[in-house]
Amino acid sequence: MKLKKWIFIVMMLSLVSAFSSEIDFSGYVRNYTGVLLQEDSEFPVLQNSFDMSIGYQSNKGAFLANPYLNINKDTISDIDFRELYIDLFFTNFDVRIGKQQVVWGKADGVFITDVVSPKNLQEFMLPDFKEIRIGVNAAKVNYYIGGSMIELIWVPQFVSNTMPSEDSIWNTRHIDFSNSADDIDTSLENSEYFARYSIMTSLFDLELVGGYMWDDEPTITAMTPQITFKHERLAMAGGSVGSTVGDFVLRSEGAYYTGKDFVTSGNLLESDYIHYMAGLDYSFSGYKISTQFIQKAILNYDDSMVSDQFSNTMTFMINKKFLRDTLTTEFFTYVEFGDLNALLRPKLTYAFDDGISLIFGANFFVGNSGTYGQFDKNDMAFVQIKYNY
Amino acid sequence: MKKKYIAMFFMLVVFCLFIWAQNSDEIITGEQIMDNVYNRQTPDDLKGNLKMILENNRGDQRVREINQFIKNTEQDEKKIMFFTSPADVANTSFMNWSYEDENVEDSQWIYLPAIKKIKRISSSSSSDYFMGSDFTYDDLGNRKPSEDTHTLLRSEVLDNSNCYVVQSIPVDEDSMYSKTITWVLPDSWVGVKKEFYDEDGDLLKELDIQKLEEIKGYWIIAKSLMTNVQKDHTTLMELSDLQVNTGLQDKIFTERIMVRGI
Repeated sequence: MKLKKWIFIVMMLSLVSAFSSEIDFSGYVRNYTGVLLQEDSEFPVLQNSFDMSIGYQSNKGAFLANPYLNINKDTISDIDFRELYIDLFFTNFDVRIGKQQVVWGKADGVFITDVVSPKNLQEFMLPDFKEIRIGVNAAKVNYYIGGSMIELIWVPQFVSNTMPSEDSIWNTRHIDFSNSADDIDTSLENSEYFARYSIMTSLFDLELVGGYMWDDEPTITAMTPQITFKHERLAMAGGSVGSTVGDFVLRSEGAYYTGKDFVTSGNLLESDYIHYMAGLDYSFSGYKISTQFIQKAILNYDDSMVSDQFSNTMTFMINKKFLRDTLTTEFFTYVEFGDLNALLRPKLTYAFDDGISLIFGANFFVGNSGTYGQFDKNDMAFVQIKYNY
Repeated sequence: MKKKYIAMFFMLVVFCLFIWAQNSDEIITGEQIMDNVYNRQTPDDLKGNLKMILENNRGDQRVREINQFIKNTEQDEKKIMFFTSPADVANTSFMNWSYEDENVEDSQWIYLPAIKKIKRISSSSSSDYFMGSDFTYDDLGNRKPSEDTHTLLRSEVLDNSNCYVVQSIPVDEDSMYSKTITWVLPDSWVGVKKEFYDEDGDLLKELDIQKLEEIKGYWIIAKSLMTNVQKDHTTLMELSDLQVNTGLQDKIFTERIMVRGI
């Protein structure tokens, strides 16, 4: 059935394209092979992917259709549209309606105010962010005043994070999340609302954001007799700022959340919390260096809560290009303090030709517990061959 | 007899004036020449397509294509570039605001479609090479004359045109070049050739302007070749579909257009 759906989609889009030479096609074909670095080396990833963006733009509007297909081993694991929307352009405002990914904030690799699009966590946080973010059906209006912008988003249909399956190596507690996304009916009163003001100036870039939404992450309400979940209404207000000071780019992002339930030894306790980041970027002699400090603090903390009151994480990234930008080396790491654990991600990308790239990389999980240490047995080396067209 | 001496004296003065007039341009300094180059009449705005052909010492070529839009005002210059090729960088955009005030650093942003995010970047990376080409960001920018000390070395005929040859030594000792030497046409104040010397004083790169176009009275460099003589690779940069003074609006140089494109 899935294959028929896919063939239908491609046929329809091909038909559309046949009638217009102005339609733009782009995307990639990718082979992705990952092997676990343990004694009985398994291949958790043997994936072939096809991604196509079909777009058209005029002075009055645009559309984008971005279907994709993932075949894991010999099974079609994903077939869907990442985005499928129509844009209408007016003098001072734009309207986008349809399935879309929305990205907010200035943090890299961390979601603080970037909460409009839920996440696909089936492979933890390892895929590209384009693949982690899930498009939501939404109506978005962007109103422009000089160099500033007001963005309003209405999401009538709640979509939760996609969690790893019960037997996945990325689900160390083997929780069955299959019923975790079903508790919110699609109705007007269950809609999500988001707003953003942003401005770019010669001195700084600023974003102020707010949201009234559902928690994308399911909260476990009971483990027995069967596991149950719920999603809580959250309200969020925050912002981000970026500025250049000498050779450095300083970035900061923060948000205040209300309505979140935290798991305790017996039940759930609601508490407000803050989540913020301070980071800086620096480049010299072709090296790009970036570091961030991220803290999440539960404000009405109770000792019975399973989570720590403060969770502190740092990220570090260094990137350098060689051979006229054909060879890119990168090292990115997350380090979580307290119960010290980390994820180390070296990566080497070689542009074999314009459009064809070979990517060699690894994910090393350090520690025994915590966000990253829990996957200590999942150290993995991978290779990707990607053709961009 | 006296009248004869007066006439001879008068002729001598006229001759001296003539000789002085012939050589009066020698009085101009390197500083003035580079000021004239920097302050050359430029259009209020410019748009066109830029094609870069990168060639290595084996003759292998890679092509990068960009649509660019530039607007000049008395206070600043705003530039926005949309990368169209190769496929893996298509829809990336880059925006630069540079300011007349020398104390204010350029503001730069890049939009990365893969992460759907605009990132502010530091202009201190001006010595980085642009898209793997032989041009650094600094080579492509409008370097202010005060950033170098200029000396007129000589006048010289280059491709049948008289040129001033000016040596420029960066004031900043950490500059990636120890010096540059520029051949400047005195009638248009366009630099038509430039040599770049590395930190050891050895020739690193040569820039050769291969095509100058006069559009609505403005001289525009339409084709240039940068050769890295040490690594034996080149970048040919060609501008096409050039249009000037079309009335580009400020709203082009914004977040909206960076993300959406034109």
